[in-house]
Amino acid sequence: MSTTTGSAGTRRVNVAAARRRQALADGWKEFARNRAGLAGLIILLAVIALAAVIPLFAPASVLDVTQVTAGRNEPPSLANPLGTDPAGRSVLALLIWGARISLVVGFAATLVSMVIGTVMGMAAGHFTGATQAVLMRLIDFFLVVPGLVLAIVLSSIIGPGIATIVVAIGVTSWAGTARLVRSQTLTVEARPYIERAWALGASDAHVIGRHVLPAVMPLVLANTTLTVGSAIIAESTLAFLGLGDPSSVSWGGMLKSALDTGAATGGYWWYVLPPGLAIVLVVLSFTLVGRALESVINPTLRGR
Amino acid sequence: MASRSPIPTDGPLRPFPRGAGLRRTAGAGLLAAALTLTPGALALPAATASEKAEDTTLKLALTGDIDSLNPFTAILAASTNILLLQYEGLVTYGPENNEIVPALAESWETSEDGTTWTYTIGEDRKWSDGEPVTAQDAEFTFNAIAEDDTLKAANGTLLENIDSVEATDDQTLVITLNEAQAPNPGADLAIVPEHIWSKVEDPSTFENSENAVGSGPFTVESYSPSSGVRMKANPNYWRGKAKVDAVTYVPYRNSDAAVQALLNGELDVVGDLTPAQYKALESEENITVNSGAGRRYQALNINSGTINSEGKLMGDGNPALQDIELRKAIARAIDSKTLLEKVLEGLGEQATGEIPAVYPLYHWDTDEELPYSYDPEEANRILDEAGYKMGPDGIRLDKEGKPLKLRLAGSNSKPTHAQMADYVVPWLKEIGIEATTEIKASGQLNDDSILGNYDMYFTGWGIGPDPDFQLSINQCSSRPNADGTGATNESNWCSPEFDALYKEQHTELDQERRSELVVEAQKLIYDAAVNHVLFYADSLEAYRSDKFEPFTTQPKEGGVILAQNGPWGVYSATPAGELEAAGATSEANPEAVIIPVVGVLVVGGLAAFFLAKRRRATADDRQ
Amino acid sequence: MSNALSAADLVPGEPALDEPPRASSWLRYAALKAGGAVVSLIMVVLLGFFAFRILPGDPVRSLAEGRRVSAEQMELLREQLGFNDPLLTQFLRYLTDLAQGRLGYSYTYSEPVLNLILDRLGPTLLLTGTAALISVVLGLWLGQRAAWRRGSLFDKTQTGLALVFWSVPTFWLGLILLLVFGGGLHWFPTGGLVTAGTTATGFPLLWDVARHMVLPVVTMVAVVYAQYLMVMRASLFEEMTSDYLQTARAKGLREDLVRRRHAVPNALLPTVTLIFLTLGGLVGGAVTVETVFSWPGLGLLTFQALSAPDFPLLQGTFVVFSSIVIVMNFLADLLYRFLDPRLRAA
Repeated sequence: MSTTTGSAGTRRVNVAAARRRQALADGWKEFARNRAGLAGLIILLAVIALAAVIPLFAPASVLDVTQVTAGRNEPPSLANPLGTDPAGRSVLALLIWGARISLVVGFAATLVSMVIGTVMGMAAGHFTGATQAVLMRLIDFFLVVPGLVLAIVLSSIIGPGIATIVVAIGVTSWAGTARLVRSQTLTVEARPYIERAWALGASDAHVIGRHVLPAVMPLVLANTTLTVGSAIIAESTLAFLGLGDPSSVSWGGMLKSALDTGAATGGYWWYVLPPGLAIVLVVLSFTLVGRALESVINPTLRGR
Repeated sequence: MASRSPIPTDGPLRPFPRGAGLRRTAGAGLLAAALTLTPGALALPAATASEKAEDTTLKLALTGDIDSLNPFTAILAASTNILLLQYEGLVTYGPENNEIVPALAESWETSEDGTTWTYTIGEDRKWSDGEPVTAQDAEFTFNAIAEDDTLKAANGTLLENIDSVEATDDQTLVITLNEAQAPNPGADLAIVPEHIWSKVEDPSTFENSENAVGSGPFTVESYSPSSGVRMKANPNYWRGKAKVDAVTYVPYRNSDAAVQALLNGELDVVGDLTPAQYKALESEENITVNSGAGRRYQALNINSGTINSEGKLMGDGNPALQDIELRKAIARAIDSKTLLEKVLEGLGEQATGEIPAVYPLYHWDTDEELPYSYDPEEANRILDEAGYKMGPDGIRLDKEGKPLKLRLAGSNSKPTHAQMADYVVPWLKEIGIEATTEIKASGQLNDDSILGNYDMYFTGWGIGPDPDFQLSINQCSSRPNADGTGATNESNWCSPEFDALYKEQHTELDQERRSELVVEAQKLIYDAAVNHVLFYADSLEAYRSDKFEPFTTQPKEGGVILAQNGPWGVYSATPAGELEAAGATSEANPEAVIIPVVGVLVVGGLAAFFLAKRRRATADDRQ
Repeated sequence: MSNALSAADLVPGEPALDEPPRASSWLRYAALKAGGAVVSLIMVVLLGFFAFRILPGDPVRSLAEGRRVSAEQMELLREQLGFNDPLLTQFLRYLTDLAQGRLGYSYTYSEPVLNLILDRLGPTLLLTGTAALISVVLGLWLGQRAAWRRGSLFDKTQTGLALVFWSVPTFWLGLILLLVFGGGLHWFPTGGLVTAGTTATGFPLLWDVARHMVLPVVTMVAVVYAQYLMVMRASLFEEMTSDYLQTARAKGLREDLVRRRHAVPNALLPTVTLIFLTLGGLVGGAVTVETVFSWPGLGLLTFQALSAPDFPLLQGTFVVFSSIVIVMNFLADLLYRFLDPRLRAA
């Protein structure tokens, strides 16, 4: 790796840093102009904050079914604003505790997907010949194969559980990102300064690490935000199909347990509606933020 | 993405001329319109098609899979329940109390030594096509299974002790056994008509799903996986033609949907309700609920060290569990009363041994406190005494000084397993045992249980009227091979004492004595603390009482309507007196659906119209 | 699963970079795409086999779970189902079977998997086809209107509504519609394709099917139409800023004429591709919607196979579902090439 040294180099870095700060500030201004995106961001931050501090207000013991004092399936009251679940636990507490696992699953699955997608995409864009052909085929394959069916197959192989859901979602959702990253890689590598870098004898690792990766990162970031939302929906879908871990509290798991106990037909709307609405709200927020991010990033991406 | 891809975005934001189109249109909320376009006042009748049928039909939910309607190969519960309506055995289990009653045979005799059983076929027994039922039909059925391995799939085990079956005349059938047995060899096996099946080229692949000929109260008229099973009443049924003309089994994969269908009048009887659904339906006006004593026990199985058929230890069970004191303590730590109360809302019965209370002949009935009833203090005392020292973090140490960590497995297809685990884990924590829940696919769990790859797991067995089979799978001879093939053992436990008891009850022809022996055998299993029975869950059902009179349950007192050991419940279906009037008021709602359908069509049509216009324009443009 | 719906893929007239727009002939292009589809199909076939061989659990024992099946019977069954053969033999048999259109034997239904799938294919095509058609029409129509009035109340409510519906878990929406309009208001049947035991034919039968379709179709449409709306809207934005439109306007063409004759047709192009690309997602929707509404299609069959579990059946539905989607995508590629005047002109 050739890093620039000396005072000229330092200055250049400083200038670059200042430019990056400026770009960030401009980006934020652009983002803040998008009111929907801003609202989404605020909701997300609120949900994350709530999920983070919940242990301070309602310790994990509220999830312990042997410790409950309330009755089962109680309608909303002052003590339990969203009523109680079939075991007598507060639905509100479950909902906030559930946010933790739903968000963690959403982020973890997205991380898996993004890492695979970025690596595969950059490789497919960077390399040529047989490597590229193989990678492209792989991307195309995962792009068209029905994700849910593949995820079902994967889950029944690994066995139900949270890790399974993360893997199943991650492995079936990276292809779109890879395609995006690949075309961005091709664009970047066609630029003159990459030509120069090649001419100066830069290695593959250098070109990818120093030039391509920074250039595709904003795109990946926007894509990530959009993907988290889908991953949360996917988690609930897999849980609904019985592939989740019913003993852990997530929104999908709550809906599954509501279905299993017949809460819907039992008329216990306070156990059926909140987890679903929470999913809608959070997924919508991620989508709005992702869209706002894209609108920030895209003009610069396309200013070529 | 597993369920859907991220939403497409706008793409690059570029300055963009507003254009002319700023006028507000009625288009806003079109989708909302498509979703909700149905003013209640304009509603149409919901179930015109079914109401118009002249026949009285009993509509049941088909919630399970149908593997086959061929009595030789059908194994799954949904199929065998249907076939139970179509074919009678020589004898069957009565509605009163699961007692043996006549079916095709009107009487039978057992020889002194219990090895020769002679049945007399009733003269009035006829097949649904009018042919008489004869002893030759029975002989044909038994011999077909005996001679052809491909026909053993469903009932092969019933023939294991049978030496020969012979029809001495049209009405008399003699079954000779290898050794005496208490269970009636004429129960459970469906007798098929020889005049139909002898002409079938390959009986094992015969679908038997259209206009089948049977001896039971209903016979299958047609079947398709998408629309279900239709059965018609057998006019020649010897107990008298059923009061309804037909029975249909409608596929429903989702119990909430089945309940809604009951409310909607698309189904008449629904079984397998959850407690919440049961409670909700209790208050419905036209619906009567039935909580019948269940035939299934729920238990926590503990791995006492799985031994294979060669006498070698197998599996990865925690060796600490080989100590009976530890198993006793675990049993003592579980409050099965609370489990029943919380997980099943009390809709079940406290358990003793493996045979549920619905079978009073063999149930271990006692008023005394059970040896391992809930008592966490006693559990802690047992563990202290047995030398399981408490570690610093509240987790006891086993005899080798390792913390006592156990796995608790359950199946993902049985929601109650996860619910029970939520209780059991903290209870075990109370006595210093750390348990982690592992919910697995049912196939995986089944495998692990056979190979001994578990510490504890939730299990449950449906018990037939005769306890012989359930006990038999606890014998030492019923251990699996090292690779998991071969026999299946209920708890991966066995003892010579139990084996002796099993053999004795198997050949004991005196009912009273046999009952005692069976209870003794259950106590032995209980004492070993390998299969801690928690409760017997009730079977929760509901039916349209505005359309049907109360059904015959089995047993008569507190029994079930569906999933009986006989045809009684469905056979007893009797349309309610004022069916016509009730049907008309509950469902006529003279315009129901036209609006939304039309709404969707209009939306689609409009859009298509616009697209077509564009297309024309495009075509113009290209010229 | 395709999430190739992001902005980068939507710029009309920007062919994928690895396909030089004019150099290759139509035939070469088709051959290239066909080759790709064949490779994907081969991968599906391989995955279909090997994924199911590394599954834990003895399928025969799962089959016999909790029933009176003797060891001899299990062995017999294992022999009949061919589980005792070496892996290579099993694989070769799988390939030869597949070549002859045999997809194995379902052990829950004791029927060839192919029969079961063929039995269920019709209802699935009916449901997903109808839902796709309505979503496409609805999405495109709303999308172009929204784009044309960017920033208007119509645009805001329509995109907002679409995004909300898009964020709803399919099964949850279906369940709530089922509760409200089925068991609650008695407006629609709660499940199935036709009323049980109906003997209707002709128009009454069609009517019966239509009534059964309403709730599942509405559920599916609500969840998927958003993506068509968004893509149409986005690509129309793109189109409206392009030079030729400015020229057309400059020439004094009426605004709505510009829209109808130039912008919309061109903006439709990327959307057509998208429709095919999202078929995989529709299939996912079919699994949940069919499960909720007991719709006797392939999706429900997949769920039944999963919950049994019946691995030959699951393998069969996977192979068939994937193959359908791959073939559809291949057709989309051809169609795209055919439709795009800029590429066709070559």
